[in-house]
Amino acid sequence: MSIPALMNHDLDVSSCRTSSSTRFTPLQFEARVLIDEVKPLWSADITKKLGELVKLEPGWDGYRAMPVSFVNAVFAFRVLERICGPATPAPMIVPGVGGDLQLEWHTAKGDIELHVLAPNNVRAWYTRVDDENSGGEERELKTDFSIVAKWVQNVTEQHAGAL
Amino acid sequence: MAHIPKRPADLPDFEAPPINEVVLGVQFSPPKGYRQINAGEVWGLFRSGFPKVEEHEPIAPMFETFGLPARLVKFEVMPGPVHDRFWFVRPDGTELIQFQQDRLLHNWRKVGNEENEYPRFEAMMTQFRDELEKLGEYFGKLSPQSLFISQCEITYVNHIPFELADRQKVSDWLHFVDFGGPEPEDFSIGFREIIRDADGPPWGRLTCECQIAITQKGKRIIVMSLTARGAPTDNSKESAFEFLAKGRSLIVSRFADLTTKAAHVKWRRTR
Repeated sequence: MSIPALMNHDLDVSSCRTSSSTRFTPLQFEARVLIDEVKPLWSADITKKLGELVKLEPGWDGYRAMPVSFVNAVFAFRVLERICGPATPAPMIVPGVGGDLQLEWHTAKGDIELHVLAPNNVRAWYTRVDDENSGGEERELKTDFSIVAKWVQNVTEQHAGAL
Repeated sequence: MAHIPKRPADLPDFEAPPINEVVLGVQFSPPKGYRQINAGEVWGLFRSGFPKVEEHEPIAPMFETFGLPARLVKFEVMPGPVHDRFWFVRPDGTELIQFQQDRLLHNWRKVGNEENEYPRFEAMMTQFRDELEKLGEYFGKLSPQSLFISQCEITYVNHIPFELADRQKVSDWLHFVDFGGPEPEDFSIGFREIIRDADGPPWGRLTCECQIAITQKGKRIIVMSLTARGAPTDNSKESAFEFLAKGRSLIVSRFADLTTKAAHVKWRRTR
């Protein structure tokens, strides 16, 4: 029998259990070969921007707009992990007035807008520049963003290749 | 007394499983009108059975999303004031409720001489269902609202005795680990699987972690943890309970797949 993927330091397992910290001691590995963590290009910009948006003052639009909710920001980040390659350029982020947010790419090849209304509730829209006759493609997505990963690759190919 | 449903007939079953801890939990959007000062009122919902309180660091929101393979990057944003995670603990420590503004969890665990019997999933679920109903009703009194559940999670932690002096091999217990020579002094491995129904979209992830550990009594063990986590179908409590029931079936089946027949004999497999 072979050993499945050895990826223990990648796992993000529940910290909800109680025994791990209080009732037994996992052995510590003294020598471990770790490949340097390479963060995707988009992550630093996005983390900074989301950090600003969750701290917006209520009424930031001059009316009654709310700051971007923390759970929506976390969910948006987890969506980006699944649709962006390591060299994908960061999208623009536009806050909504109800704690929601939009992730947007507008390039010479097309446009993508992802409206994160709540966790597991995303309205996605995509149009290609070379497809003027269609009104674009619209999807309501929950947790599976495979289709958006293809859209992102299509509209950002040139950018990624240039890096 | 609440009705406790029967265990599904087709599920593997053991008379003496190496189970050490089980956690059922949900994550929800922070409710309107709730602030940390209300945590005492939440404790009041459960205080008669869980009179002890502990404060812990909160657990960050987690979401299982799908698309490209990804290495999880830490999301290092502080949202401002942070709500504690409270443990409401039974007098004997065998069970506890974990509560923070966006989570409710129920843990059962072995304590003391570790002879307390696992109450089984059905009984735990009946209790967790009642606790989540109470919490939902309480939030509804703060502001008209329903719980918006975004993730569900179920974890089984098994402690498998594993003494070097007994000349045991890890492969005596775990099907998927064979070091092919001398046994290592210690190891730590894990893997994740996407959970999906036949040809359907993904609905969660199963994570398995195995590592050598030493108990407080100095005993060497293999800790095998299995967690199923994902989004409920429609953010409702009923969907969350369905997820937890499916997650439990998956964990128990995978536990039986991943462990050996010899181990099953020791744990007195009956089905």
